[in-house]
Amino acid sequence: MKPDALNGQLDSLILATVAEEPAHGYVILQRLKERSSGAFDLAEGTIYPALHRLERDGLLSSAWSTASGRRRRVYSVTRTGASSLEVRRREWKQFAHAIELVMG
Amino acid sequence: MSWLEDLSGELYSRGVTRRDRVRIVAELSDHIACEPGCEERLGDPRMLAGSFADELATAKARTSAFAAFAALALAAIVLIVSQITLARFAHYPGYSNGISPALFLPAIIGMLVAPQVALVAGTLAAWRALRRRRVASLPAEEIALIHRRTRVALAAGFATMAGLELYVVDFSERLPAWWLGLTGALAATAGAGLWATARTLSRARTIVSGEGGSAGDIFEDLPVLGWSWLRSRPWLLGALASLTVGLAIGAFEAHAEHSVAEGIQRGGFEGVAAALGFVLLGRAVGARPPRA
Repeated sequence: MKPDALNGQLDSLILATVAEEPAHGYVILQRLKERSSGAFDLAEGTIYPALHRLERDGLLSSAWSTASGRRRRVYSVTRTGASSLEVRRREWKQFAHAIELVMG
Repeated sequence: MSWLEDLSGELYSRGVTRRDRVRIVAELSDHIACEPGCEERLGDPRMLAGSFADELATAKARTSAFAAFAALALAAIVLIVSQITLARFAHYPGYSNGISPALFLPAIIGMLVAPQVALVAGTLAAWRALRRRRVASLPAEEIALIHRRTRVALAAGFATMAGLELYVVDFSERLPAWWLGLTGALAATAGAGLWATARTLSRARTIVSGEGGSAGDIFEDLPVLGWSWLRSRPWLLGALASLTVGLAIGAFEAHAEHSVAEGIQRGGFEGVAAALGFVLLGRAVGARPPRA
C-alpha cells in the first residue's frame, strides 16, 4: 500500500496500537506492520514526528525507561486519547461502510 | 558520518532546541539499537529533521500566540484595575499637575494607544493560532505572520505597562502612596509576564520551517465580514477602519462627556491614531499585502 494512502490515518493507527499496551517507537512500528500484514510501507522514521505530535495534543503521554542500558521513551494513551480513539473508530467505520456501499 | 549524526546535524541546522534534539536522537538511537542496520528504512535524516522542525515551529508559534494573549489579558486587567481605583478612590489629579510633561506625554500614549495596538495584534495572533490549531505543519510564511503579530502585541503590551509606570512616577507627588505602590507593583508583575512570553517567542522563532504556502491575510481571519473586495484596496481598508474607529469613539465620548466638541476632538485623535497604526503596522499584522 502506498504511503499516501495513510494520509490522515497514521495518528489513528498509532493511537489504536498504543492503546493495546504502552510501548516505545520500535515496538509500535512492529505492531503496526504485524497487524496490517506488512501492508503499510512507510518510512519508519515518520512515526516519531507523529508520536511527538500526539503527545503535544495530549492524546499520548510518555516517559523515559531504561532497557539494556539504553534510554527508551515509552508511550501510553491518555484518557483524552482513549476518547479520541473511540470517536476515530466510529467515524472510520461509518466512512468504510459508506465507501463499501458505493464501491461494492 | 552516521545516520544519527546526520539527523542531529539537520535538527541543529533547523534550529530545533537542544532539549528536543537530545530526545529525538535518543529515541531514534534506541530504534536503531533494536534492529541494527535499519537506518535506510528510517528514511532520509534531512526529511525527518524537516518534519520535526516544521511541526515544532508550528506548535511553538501557536503556544507563543496563546501565551502572549494570556499575558496581555493580565496586563489589561492591571490597566483596568489601575484606572478604576484611580477614578473611585484616588481621584484624577489633572494632566497638568504631574512632575513633567516629558513623563506625562509618553505615559498617556502608552496607556491610551498601545493597549489598542496590543488588543488588535494579540487577538489576530491568537485567532490565527486557534483557527489553524488542527494543522500539524503551517506554511513558514504563516508561522512568520503569527510571530510578527505576537511580537507587535507584546511590544505594545510592554509600552502599556511602561506608560503606567511613567504615570506613577509623574504623579508620585500627587497621588496616594497606596495607589502608587499597588499600580507600580501590578504593572511590574504584568511586565514580567510579558517578558517571559517574549522569551518563549524568541525561542520559537529560532526554529526554521520549510513548509511552503502563503501566510494568508486578515481577510482569511475575518471572512464573516464579507469584505474581501477590499483585498486589492488596502489603503481604502485603512481609511474605512480609521473612520469607523474615529466615529465610534467620537460618538461614545460625545455621549459620555455631554459635549460634541469633546467627541470630535477625541474621535479625531482616535481616527488619526488608527490610520497611523495601519501605516506603521498594517503589513506586520497582515492587514496590508507583503512587499513584492
